[in-house]
Amino acid sequence: MEREVRVWDNLKRDTEERMKKVAHLVEEGKVVKAENTVALLEGVIKPGDKVNLEGNNQKQADFLAECLCEVDPKKVYDLHMVQSVVSLKSHLDVFEKGIAKKLDFSFSGPQAGRLADFVRDGKLELGAIHTYLELFGRYYADLVPKVALVVAFEADKEGNLYTGFNTEDTPIIVEATKFKQGIVIAQVNKIVDKVPRVDIPADWVDFVIQSPKNFYIEPLFTRDPGLITDTQVLMGMMALKGVYAEYGVQSMNHGIGFFTAAIELMLPTYAEELGLKGKICSYFALNPHPTMIPAIESGWVKNIHCFGGELGMEEYVAARSDVFFIGPDGTLRSNRAYSQAAGLYAMDMFIGGTLQIDKYGNSSTATANRVAGFGGAPNMGSDAKGRRHSSDAWLKCGLEYGMQDQLLGKMPRGKKLVVQMQETFKEKMDPAFVDELDAWKLAKNANLDIPPVMVYSDDVTHYITEEGIAYFHKCVDMKEKMAAIRAIAGYTEIGLQAKEEETMDLRKRGIVKTPEDLGIDITRANRSMLAAKNIKELVEWSGGLYNPPARFRNW
Amino acid sequence: MLSWDELQKAKFTETNARERAFGLVDKGTFTEFVSPRDRMPSPHLPVLGEAIGYDDGVVTGIGLIGKRPVFVVSQEGRFIGGAVGEVHGAKMVQAIKLALKAYEDVKEKYPDSYEERLPAVVISFETGGVRLHESNAGLLAHAEVMDQIQDARGKIPIIAVIGSKVGCFGGMGFVGAATDVVIMSEQGRLGLTGPEVIEQEMGKDEFDASNKALVFRTTGGKHKYIMQDANFLVKDTVGGFYQQLQEVMKLPFAEIEKFRRIGSKELVEEQLELVKLAVELGAKDSMDVWKYYGNEDPAKLVDMGPEEFLKVAKRRERKLG
Amino acid sequence: MALNELNFKYKVENPQSIAKEYSHLGVVGSGDLEVLMEKKDFGGGTEVKVVTPVTGFDKVWEMVVTKFVKGNNLGDLLIEINDNNATPVVVSMRLRQALAEANKKEKGGE
Repeated sequence: MEREVRVWDNLKRDTEERMKKVAHLVEEGKVVKAENTVALLEGVIKPGDKVNLEGNNQKQADFLAECLCEVDPKKVYDLHMVQSVVSLKSHLDVFEKGIAKKLDFSFSGPQAGRLADFVRDGKLELGAIHTYLELFGRYYADLVPKVALVVAFEADKEGNLYTGFNTEDTPIIVEATKFKQGIVIAQVNKIVDKVPRVDIPADWVDFVIQSPKNFYIEPLFTRDPGLITDTQVLMGMMALKGVYAEYGVQSMNHGIGFFTAAIELMLPTYAEELGLKGKICSYFALNPHPTMIPAIESGWVKNIHCFGGELGMEEYVAARSDVFFIGPDGTLRSNRAYSQAAGLYAMDMFIGGTLQIDKYGNSSTATANRVAGFGGAPNMGSDAKGRRHSSDAWLKCGLEYGMQDQLLGKMPRGKKLVVQMQETFKEKMDPAFVDELDAWKLAKNANLDIPPVMVYSDDVTHYITEEGIAYFHKCVDMKEKMAAIRAIAGYTEIGLQAKEEETMDLRKRGIVKTPEDLGIDITRANRSMLAAKNIKELVEWSGGLYNPPARFRNW
Repeated sequence: MLSWDELQKAKFTETNARERAFGLVDKGTFTEFVSPRDRMPSPHLPVLGEAIGYDDGVVTGIGLIGKRPVFVVSQEGRFIGGAVGEVHGAKMVQAIKLALKAYEDVKEKYPDSYEERLPAVVISFETGGVRLHESNAGLLAHAEVMDQIQDARGKIPIIAVIGSKVGCFGGMGFVGAATDVVIMSEQGRLGLTGPEVIEQEMGKDEFDASNKALVFRTTGGKHKYIMQDANFLVKDTVGGFYQQLQEVMKLPFAEIEKFRRIGSKELVEEQLELVKLAVELGAKDSMDVWKYYGNEDPAKLVDMGPEEFLKVAKRRERKLG
Repeated sequence: MALNELNFKYKVENPQSIAKEYSHLGVVGSGDLEVLMEKKDFGGGTEVKVVTPVTGFDKVWEMVVTKFVKGNNLGDLLIEINDNNATPVVVSMRLRQALAEANKKEKGGE
């Protein structure tokens, strides 16, 4: 019997064909001139391709994004964009111009409102909103990019890339693309003779372009201590005493925001006073938050692995190789995928702020008219079901889990601490506790399958408001959970439905603790608790190594 | 409220107007005029539905530094940006008037030794100038304060303290400049037009208001110190300012008057030469000017702590004073 | 447009006034407030006056203030609040801090 002859390298042949078409654009090695970028893109991208445009909430392949907007929509159209973040104007302009059609993404910052409009007006077909790890996973399943447009600090002519401090998403994108016979194009700030270290090897990269301007980078994780309020200090004290100390939490991820910034700045002060040094906060999956400097300098922290870099922290981080992950060249290597994995499996706690909490305890930052996504928060803020190693904090939380018996019978199992913080009222008396999340309205407005929930009620273990901490995981059923939510919802409509006897009972059983129950003196809750009160003091703590971006320098 | 001792160590930028007023004079000597207990809010704000404060955003009172009675005016930037309305302005004016009255009294009572008991006025500025909600009254208040400062010329020193978050801008920028002595911290800012307004009028290329480092380099204490617009630069603590005030108060009045930067034909001419220089130099950044005055590596000065800065910074040389 | 003025009166068992004759705390910054407390011969009663640009939350104000006055057994006391959009938590915190200040032994500021 004769065996049917089949071709098994179609993808490779297709790529080779495309590469031939643009061979004339290549100068020395793999270098393409910036002015030939549009022609390059028109040559290697075909209609309907899945294209990955690198950009996350920190660094952006902005030059390549702009060039993609310049291609001829008659030649290149119907692209399926798969990318971590939609944050530049150009990221949506490609849809406006008819170059791209479909989008799968994870997070969108400033473009969230426009994105919602595009979805509603049919200018953009939305695949799904993912968490980072989820999207990265799909790069290796059904969303493999044919072409990846990535960004690095430096490249040599052979194509070795130095992504350094801001390595972030580059490795996981390049690997998915290149090893499935795709094409990798990198914009770099500078083409050099020798890169300081090889973050991406040359044979995984097809073209390098020195962009006319350095790539855009956003200092997203810098919080000015000058803006921390007394209420945030109070809630930070409650968190430190009622959660960090209570469980002896040693490993964690801190969300972006002022609540955790306040906590970081109270490690050398309030937490020190509580005698917690060495007992909490040794290991972090965390961007290099400037507000971590006083705690690091005071010897609190053993280890921090970073998702990405943070503008201005380069020198400081490089000088603290005992704490951060520093390459042989002496600079940090961040890696979003690895840090997300650490956050999901190796951290005992996620703690961060939210915007809205419904009466069942679901929490979301979604608003009615913005398709924003949540980035990594849902991964950080969930209990990894596959976790098998034990730690004191994880085990204690599991042993307290009110539904454990119903789910497992008599079987000890831990639980990740997922802590959500929010004041009962936001600015202008906007209540944080609501009957129904705005996520429902968004789902309707933007035609989504499900309301985008950041952290589901069954993952949250602790809610903290200025009224108290709800040890949510201790509740035995939804009825009790709803009572715990009401008990800490203050003077919001939800909170006003609390019944006094019910709240007293929850307090007696340790499911709800007020600042008084925790033994916290509210009159001490003020900014004098902060180890640094402004950016300038962070620079002083760092011994001059932290170099804050101009917009944060009030001196 | 922090105790006087705690206040001395506290950051000036972290304290409120009342705490600053208490901390800028000798321990336990401060008495407030028209305190919140006297309930003197703006009569204009309630009509507009705007929040009121019983001190209308300024604390005035009297204390001592050594033997000298010191009349303190301390503005609160958190109340409508420290903007000057009718009551706020009247309190400023009255404080200076009382100082002048005290001057006459002291002179009469101690004809031979009045100099060591000479009253002084200390104004801690934190304001953007006129309160738009009561603009006419606010403008008038500016004129009246200016008037009082002129009346005080040659009699008692008026000392500007500029170190709070909002800085000293708008019409009050003129007032600040018209005082005898200006003491600033590097966080303090002094100017006329606020950065946002300059950007709006001249464009982002001319002045990028979101570039806070640029804003502070242009209006902040270090620049004003190098340019001699500020006479003294101190640490960002209440004690830093207090100690500098003590030093100034030790000087005879004739010496203090030499600190003035405007107020005579010669001084105005000196200022006009600076305008000429600005055009000739074509400076793009205040650091260009710092370099012109002999600071070889001006960028280094930006991050330098105040102690070291005072040691190494080269200043414009004054022709007079 | 005008400011919203609220007045509350209380009488509790075994009331306690403040140590100082009068006490003041806070700054009417955005999202913040000032609290003036003054000893008064109100026959054991407490009177509270709130001036705020916020409308529609009179009930919340009443609950926050009631909880504070009753929770601390206050009497022979006048409390005046000038508010600029403070949230209930800020109001509660400032009231507690104001009471602590009003009961400090030493005279304010010395």
